[in-house]
Amino acid sequence: MANISKGLIGISIHIELFNDNKSVCNMSSNIQLCYQCGKCTAICPVRRVINTSPRNTIYQANVYEMDSDDIWNCLTCNLCYDECPQDVNYPEFVRENRTKKDRVGAGAGSRVAHNGVFTLLSDMMVDLDKSRTGINEKGNENSKIGYYPGCLDFQDMFFNVDVNFREIADSSMELLDEMGLDPKFLQMKCCGHDQLWQGNSITFDKLKEQNTKLIEESGIETLVTSCAECYRTLSQDYDLPIKVVHISQLLQDADLGIDSDVNVTYHDACRLGRHMGEYDAPRDALTNSGASITEMKHNKKDAWCCGISSMMNCNDKSKALRKARLDEAKDTGAKVLITTCPKCLAHLTCMKTEQDSVENYEYEIKDLTVFLAEQKGGKNNE
Amino acid sequence: MSKLVGAIAVAGGGVAGIQSAIDLANNGLKVYLIESSTSIGGKMSQLDKTFPTLDCSMCTLSPKLAEVSRHPNIELLTYSEITGIEGEAGDFTVTVKKKPTFVDPDKCTACELCVSKCPVKVPDEYNEGGNDRKAIYLAFPQAVPRVYTIDAENCLYLTKGKCGKCVKVCENDAINYDDKGEEIEINVGSIILSTGFEPFDASQLEQYRIDHPDVVTSIQFERQLSSSGPFEGHVTLSDGTHPKKIAWIQCIGSRSPEIGRRNCSSVCCMYATKEATVAMEHDPDLETTIFNIDVRAFGKGFEEFYQKAKNKTGVRFIHSRPSGVEVDPQTNKLSLKYELEDSNGIRQEEFDMVVLSIGLTPSKSSKQLVNIAGVEMDDLGFVKTMIDRPVETTRHGIFVSGSMKAPKDIPDTVADASGAASKASSLLSSERGSLVTEKQYPSEKEIGDEVRTGVVVCRCGINIGNVVDVPNVVEYANGLSGVVFAKEEVYACSSDSIVGIADMVKEHDLNRVVVASCTPRTHEPLFRETLMEAGLNPYMFELANIREHCSWVHQHEKDKATKKARDTVRMSVSRANLLQPLYKERVEFDNSGLVIGGGIAGMNAALDIADKGFHVTLVEKMSELGGLLNTYTTLQDGRSTNEVLEPLIARVGSHDNLTVLIDTELVELEGSMGNFTAHLKGPGVDEKLRCGVCIIATGATELMPEGYFSYGKYPNIVTQSKLEHMIDEGISDNNVVFIQCAGGRNDERPYCSRACCTVAVKNAIRLKKDDPKRNVYILYRDIRTFGRWEDLYTQARELGVVFMRYTEDKEPEVGEKSIKMFDHLLNMDFDINYDLLVLSAPLVAPETNESLASIFKVPLDSNKFFLEAHIKLRPVEFANEGVFLCGTAQAPKLVDEAVSQASAAASRACTILSSDFLETIGNVSVVDPELCIGCGRCTLVCPYNAPELKEIVVETEEITYNTKKCEINPTICKGCGSCAVECPTGAITSRHFTESQIMAVIKAYGEGL
Repeated sequence: MANISKGLIGISIHIELFNDNKSVCNMSSNIQLCYQCGKCTAICPVRRVINTSPRNTIYQANVYEMDSDDIWNCLTCNLCYDECPQDVNYPEFVRENRTKKDRVGAGAGSRVAHNGVFTLLSDMMVDLDKSRTGINEKGNENSKIGYYPGCLDFQDMFFNVDVNFREIADSSMELLDEMGLDPKFLQMKCCGHDQLWQGNSITFDKLKEQNTKLIEESGIETLVTSCAECYRTLSQDYDLPIKVVHISQLLQDADLGIDSDVNVTYHDACRLGRHMGEYDAPRDALTNSGASITEMKHNKKDAWCCGISSMMNCNDKSKALRKARLDEAKDTGAKVLITTCPKCLAHLTCMKTEQDSVENYEYEIKDLTVFLAEQKGGKNNE
Repeated sequence: MSKLVGAIAVAGGGVAGIQSAIDLANNGLKVYLIESSTSIGGKMSQLDKTFPTLDCSMCTLSPKLAEVSRHPNIELLTYSEITGIEGEAGDFTVTVKKKPTFVDPDKCTACELCVSKCPVKVPDEYNEGGNDRKAIYLAFPQAVPRVYTIDAENCLYLTKGKCGKCVKVCENDAINYDDKGEEIEINVGSIILSTGFEPFDASQLEQYRIDHPDVVTSIQFERQLSSSGPFEGHVTLSDGTHPKKIAWIQCIGSRSPEIGRRNCSSVCCMYATKEATVAMEHDPDLETTIFNIDVRAFGKGFEEFYQKAKNKTGVRFIHSRPSGVEVDPQTNKLSLKYELEDSNGIRQEEFDMVVLSIGLTPSKSSKQLVNIAGVEMDDLGFVKTMIDRPVETTRHGIFVSGSMKAPKDIPDTVADASGAASKASSLLSSERGSLVTEKQYPSEKEIGDEVRTGVVVCRCGINIGNVVDVPNVVEYANGLSGVVFAKEEVYACSSDSIVGIADMVKEHDLNRVVVASCTPRTHEPLFRETLMEAGLNPYMFELANIREHCSWVHQHEKDKATKKARDTVRMSVSRANLLQPLYKERVEFDNSGLVIGGGIAGMNAALDIADKGFHVTLVEKMSELGGLLNTYTTLQDGRSTNEVLEPLIARVGSHDNLTVLIDTELVELEGSMGNFTAHLKGPGVDEKLRCGVCIIATGATELMPEGYFSYGKYPNIVTQSKLEHMIDEGISDNNVVFIQCAGGRNDERPYCSRACCTVAVKNAIRLKKDDPKRNVYILYRDIRTFGRWEDLYTQARELGVVFMRYTEDKEPEVGEKSIKMFDHLLNMDFDINYDLLVLSAPLVAPETNESLASIFKVPLDSNKFFLEAHIKLRPVEFANEGVFLCGTAQAPKLVDEAVSQASAAASRACTILSSDFLETIGNVSVVDPELCIGCGRCTLVCPYNAPELKEIVVETEEITYNTKKCEINPTICKGCGSCAVECPTGAITSRHFTESQIMAVIKAYGEGL
């Protein structure tokens, strides 16, 4: 490995580069294919707020096997992966490297948003056998369709923002009932998304194992989630024998009998959009219900970030990203900003509702399911 | 093969198809040239200038278009597509569907009345939508054939049954709405596929915003630069103003596995550099930036062109790819965000215009044709070939050339096209002449004593017409002595104008013609032939160059340009009035060939000539055949060099028409095309061999990079060729470092050696496969694995080869065990330990090139490689007729390119060998022996070695003495007149530039003072 010593003039680094075969080879992230065109850095949303350079990080890893703290800046939003001409998967590289870094170590923990409380909760959950979601619902226990709310209960518990997260679960159940699907309410542990992307593979693997068992025992054939992160994780990072869908994909073609005339805009969560390629379902669900969508300047594949994915880095830098996003939403003139990810919802709302705000955003921010359920019930007038 | 048909179908009328057709037709074979659009010319016809010489593309191409249209052995099937191919090599039946043009070409006079009345406007494909054309149209002014076509999709009558205006205005009843087209079957012995490429569709990459009017593709920009383009050569923004800042983004649709476009497109770096250079010539205040990944300036003269653009012209090159094109919603302005190359800084920069350098992709129609032809495609979507058989498809008798088999530039395409023609004509050599007819001209009419000169003044579209007052010049010409008729033409060289000139000669009983247009270099042969068709001697013609000499150089002084055009026309008429008929002579010749150099190029060239039934002698100075390839052990496709060389050497050794002389050198060459005598010397050989053509295939050698990167100082530093042998023998070195451009791309050798990046990457892959634990580092300046070889680069990266860029101002410093490397990305110095350092040294011209060049009297370029006649369109021939070149003698290249050129040289050479006799030109210089004093000055100035001093006995009244006198060999003489100027006694007369003619011109000039 690298043996670094200071030289006489400037910095001269002596590297014994050649001890064994380079570990970067054959990584699924393909980073060895990088020809340093720098498009990733130029397109990176985080680069708009932090001096991050995926190009340099990849290059250093490729050439010198050098680590870079830059991996902690990445939001793994996949914009660079989507656009990379060589198909280099930088977010995957980031995840692999974070995993190698022993996230629990001193440096890493402080980087994770909210002092890592959510991370800690998940860690604890692994060891507490009976730990389940705090929402006490059952639904139709014999249904082959299961609804999984994710960590909405924790968010209600720990986020001091003007959002009723539980409402997402209630609205989801209501809409699924409306479609005649009569779902079971799944009692599971945290899906482990944040642990996975923060690099805590040990916790993730345990959560995955425990949840997989719970799902198998539940007897369901289709798992519905209202959270973009859960959707990505359960369908991509688990090896489940059942079908996993995001609720928007069911709502896409559903006839809910809603005739809303609200002008909305839609924020693509990175996990549902770029990670899973689902851009149309939530939009179709909205337009089928009569809503009109005014797109933000950056939408679908080019959508900008909420700045918080995986609970990395909630700070003034990521807030800058949120401001940019909220400004774009403001420019649309829409009445409601719709999201499909509770984390986007939490953080965008957090900024909108902050005390003594310098910016004033008139529109509402709502989860897709909550919006549709409200329109269904005529709650708009409340 | 039971039956052989002496005809060939060439699919695709771009520069590749055109070159194949001309070669085959001149080899005595019948050619059907099939083109799906309304005119031949292909993509080259749309280009403004060509790199690296900045020649006008159309100006070099249009004589070839005219040659095709006038060649008696070529049948042109435009607006036609191949729909079926049956049969086998030697006897194919090809079904061709001719689409309806709705205009009868025999009746149409191209008067354009229909065009002016047609109400339908359609985006003009030729100008890439930069302006509109009508529904009845000609693809471009120089289109061949000059046949108007109704676009059935947009014509109001054909779509809605309304309008019919063209029928009403057409005075010749040429419009036929009932045209259904037709399906014909042609019987051919062989087929050449050359349907080219399709530009990448930039709308697939939405983030680059091709929807914005000021974001254009490189081909659209090419039309913008062209004086025949939508803005007459003034680059124009959507708001009508001219840009001050233009950016090019490279690799749009290339080097992007993400979108399934893995290959490099080979030409984009150079065309972008060219476009930036030309745009800055138009507007010196313009700022240009080219965003690239590597600058791939790998061809002959390319690196020098790139360095000039960067260091002299001031084009900015940035190794970075912008994230996309951003459009400011308020101002609609364009900006690019990119990461700086030497730090991780980010810059957002505004540009007025963004040009997307779109790549070359296989066209949809090519894919259909490939299916019809039943030939295999490779995994990139191009036609599959082997590198040692670069023009042969997987189906016998069907050949392929140009960018249909991989993206390539014009000279490589032309070489390929001649190569494909060579293979096709070898197959059908026994049928040469069986299906062709010789062009017959009317007999020459008596010219009498009265001078009757006609003058045609060409507008060259707007090239001349917008600067020179053409009607004024016509009027002036009409008043000149000897002139009986003068008129103007929009394009004097267009097919209908040519017919018009012939008609003019007949109608006005002219005996001399002056065309005031462009350069005789490109257009004189065309007009001379026109005179022959009109029954005049071709030398009764004079060109007045009022484009290059008047409208182009004085474009801002219109009055002066017009006056100069009048002067020029007056001077030309004064000379024309004195022209006399000159006649060619037929000369016997030897129809055998001589190939110098027994490498892969020389062997292939010799075999191709021998396969056509001509005897050929292959001379190799070493004691074995194989040349440069003997120093390498593998090819870039993974095969061993022996796998290719051994069967080739065996074939060379056993061919009845081929004599091999090893250990033999050429020491002297006498004579000229058709009648060379080569003095060959070697142990046991000392013979004077007669031959009709010579091919120089003497190759190149790998530089021993003494003085570069400590080569020679430490034992563990080798070159790539040495490494190949070491790998074969087995090496244990764990840490292997390559340094590219070792001794190349510097002041001493400013060229790029083209092959080294591919060779290095190939060897890096071998090292990694040999031992995956081994570390391989490649220190490079630009990785130039062009075209399909980009796949090797990707594969090397996949295997874990590490690539680090260095710059010429901070080269790696090599110590005994480690290399000090400045990493410009990290802005730090690093030490890299190595067990083995491999230098990628350039191929260099052998020292013997200079003596060989003087033996052949052919030029070398500044890097001492042989210099071809024209870098774009005549890549394998010399100006000195009868002498050809191929392989690395011309410039460094890869094996497939050398083989393709070898076949091309053979094809070009056989156009001479397959003729029945040689003809001299008429305008040679002649010596009056009585005036010649044998001083020999003429021999010093002749570029072609035409004058020869021969011993003679002079007998006078009283004194008889031995002396020498000059004789000029008419088969060599090009009539340049240098000897006539030099001759101190006036013994030599250049027959087409006599003293009286020149004096008349000078006198005519004086009249204008």
